[in-house]
Amino acid sequence: MLFNSWQFIVLFACTAVLYFKLPYRFRMLLLFVSSYIFYMYWRWDFAVVMLLVSIVNYTAGIHIGKEPNKTKRKTYLLVAIITSLLPFLYFKYANFFLENINIFLSAVEVKEPFSYFDLILPVGISFFTFQALSYSLDVYFGNTKVEKDFVRFGAFVAFFPQLVAGPIERSSNLLGQLRQNHNFSREYFLQGAKLFVWGLFKKVVIADRLALYVDRVFETPEAYSGLTLLIATLFFAVQIYCDFSGYSDMAIGAARILGFKLMQNFNLPYFALSISDFWKRWHISLSSWFGDYLYKPLGGSRVSYGKWVRNILIVFLVSGFWHGAAWTFIIWGGLHACYYFLENWGNKLLEKSGLEWVGSTRGYRFYKIVSVFMLVCYAWIYFRANTLSDAFLISKKIFTDWSQGWYFGGSTVTFVLSCFFIVLLVIVQLLQRKGYASLYFSKSKFHPILEYGWQIILLLGISLLGLSSNSFIYFQF
Amino acid sequence: MSSKDNNETKKITKRSFFFRLIGTVLLFFLLDFILSAFLLSGLEKYYGLNSNSKVALIGHSHLMLGIDKEKLEKELGVSVAKYTREGVNVADRKVMVEQLINSNKNVQTIIYGVDAWSFTSEGLSANSYGQFYPFLNLRTIDDFIKNNASFADYWTKKIIRTTRFDEVLLSSAVRGHLGKWTNLKYGNVHVENLKRGLRNDEYRKVENRQENIAIFKETIRLALKNDMEVVLLYVPTIDLLEKVQQESFDEAISIFEQIAKEKEGVEFLNLQDSWSHEYELFYDPIHLNPKGQKTVTDSVAKYLHYNQGYLKK
Repeated sequence: MLFNSWQFIVLFACTAVLYFKLPYRFRMLLLFVSSYIFYMYWRWDFAVVMLLVSIVNYTAGIHIGKEPNKTKRKTYLLVAIITSLLPFLYFKYANFFLENINIFLSAVEVKEPFSYFDLILPVGISFFTFQALSYSLDVYFGNTKVEKDFVRFGAFVAFFPQLVAGPIERSSNLLGQLRQNHNFSREYFLQGAKLFVWGLFKKVVIADRLALYVDRVFETPEAYSGLTLLIATLFFAVQIYCDFSGYSDMAIGAARILGFKLMQNFNLPYFALSISDFWKRWHISLSSWFGDYLYKPLGGSRVSYGKWVRNILIVFLVSGFWHGAAWTFIIWGGLHACYYFLENWGNKLLEKSGLEWVGSTRGYRFYKIVSVFMLVCYAWIYFRANTLSDAFLISKKIFTDWSQGWYFGGSTVTFVLSCFFIVLLVIVQLLQRKGYASLYFSKSKFHPILEYGWQIILLLGISLLGLSSNSFIYFQF
Repeated sequence: MSSKDNNETKKITKRSFFFRLIGTVLLFFLLDFILSAFLLSGLEKYYGLNSNSKVALIGHSHLMLGIDKEKLEKELGVSVAKYTREGVNVADRKVMVEQLINSNKNVQTIIYGVDAWSFTSEGLSANSYGQFYPFLNLRTIDDFIKNNASFADYWTKKIIRTTRFDEVLLSSAVRGHLGKWTNLKYGNVHVENLKRGLRNDEYRKVENRQENIAIFKETIRLALKNDMEVVLLYVPTIDLLEKVQQESFDEAISIFEQIAKEKEGVEFLNLQDSWSHEYELFYDPIHLNPKGQKTVTDSVAKYLHYNQGYLKK
């Protein structure tokens, strides 16, 4: 079920009305049932996977919570991690591993390769698995209380506004809020509705429009010039941002209407001043997940330089692999790790040469924003390309083949509108950066009538120029 | 919620809340109505609907880019309605002719764009009925869309009028208001790429389906019944596409010739042989660029001038 569908609007409206009408003891059951209806609308059988992951982590939480023995606690945690990750690894990576084994076997001239599994990736498996796991880890590290009510825990794992593409919530935040009794708030309703509309606009007006051009060019990159491939890459950078942050905004907005405050998932990432800054602004819920449950347990930055390099590499490679079972995603992660090291060495060099003051100049800041954006865009090529050879071809052509001019796409009108909306997005983000326009739940400095007019324009924009796509990019992860 | 969280929000009274909510809905629907009415009037101007045109062009993008309406009007001295839409199949075109009959009472000649793929179902847009959404208020169109669109789509378009437009229709509406009908498809077909594609069997196959032929014949009958003359116009497509499937191509042509021979008031103007080998006239294998459009429009104007006598009327 997509946010931009009538089915969702009906389900959400019914849930919201009932949620505020029902006594607290029935509310969790309502959220649990609504979330499973939301998920089962796509495939009912995969809801069983989600239920099993919930049961495993719920049980693990209870055992970890009451077990004083550290070794046993660790064992429970490991069992929870392994059992939760099994379906995730099977559905997402089984064929990838077989494919690579087959490549190896053919290289050593073994003639009978393994046949592939006929698998469909359960939507949102990466999200609900990580969300459920965060609970077991938090209980283990003593960061959250043990949840004894299974229905509430199930509602936490399956919370439908953010179920299939995040933000990946922590138990300390969402589970804590699920324990509270929310009353309907007019303020929250308006905040949530505004954020939902902006998210929907980014998705159906900007991202889905850019997708028309991007999909066509990335499908057959050999047919296009370097300039066209460059434009497609830049378009993809905006598309993936609008697609994913649009989903997050809709999720956060929908949850807000119900009285919940989900974590901020995007904070103007393309204004990042460094790669480390970019990762504090892009998919914040995942970055912080890896930070808290992978990077820090590995020792974080409080280790020797060599180990720090190893930690960074592991985090980025795992992050790349989390996004997809393909070498392109692993290289994407690897590239970001390389950027991270380059940045670290560059900063050290500036420090040593006594040029730190340069960092505070306006020109240098601008240069950093542009250069970080370009580096991120270059890495997006690997993220979006269908195959590794396509990615190499695109990289090569962008730098060498500018002979044929550029392609306008299937329709010049679409191309022009796409460019217009990118400019509009940049203006809105500049206003958000300066604090004039609302970002997340910050207050807008514009006159209420202007803000109201903007909301009406967004709604008209959605109805007039909204495209209906079948999915969100991050659903596949 | 934390106290910090509560401080972020200002209390809104119940009255103000409902005022905002109802105000938003009302204002949205008011603007939706005004904007869609403005776009619809632009679209009607662009298509020449509800005008006193004597000649009407009916077809898809092939004819859209093939004929310069303004030039034709100038040459003939009569008003021309260019009711052409991207990707419309024969069934859609029948609806277009019905719509034209109802809206334009003075039409004497319909120039119906044909090509070898006229009776082929594959390759044209499966949801081309969507281009009729702006005219949902017309009974015939309403019925047509109800039969084709999904329940949710139908009612969304019915309730929120601006959703009836997409960017192609929006662009046409703006062009209608500005009075611009120019072919903007500059450039030339990449012949080598086309040849490569043909060698790899990558082309749209001609398939003369009986059900489509029947709909086509019904459309012709409908026009004749309303005292209109019909010119079946073959705007050229590149000859390379013809050569790879000569037999089925000739079969389609013979259907048009046969109909023209059998029916009084129907003529077949085939410009394929004259221009299909002039590659510099093509934007892509089936669409003409502005140079091609000018060439073909001259031929059509000359034909209408001598055979239909519009300049004399």
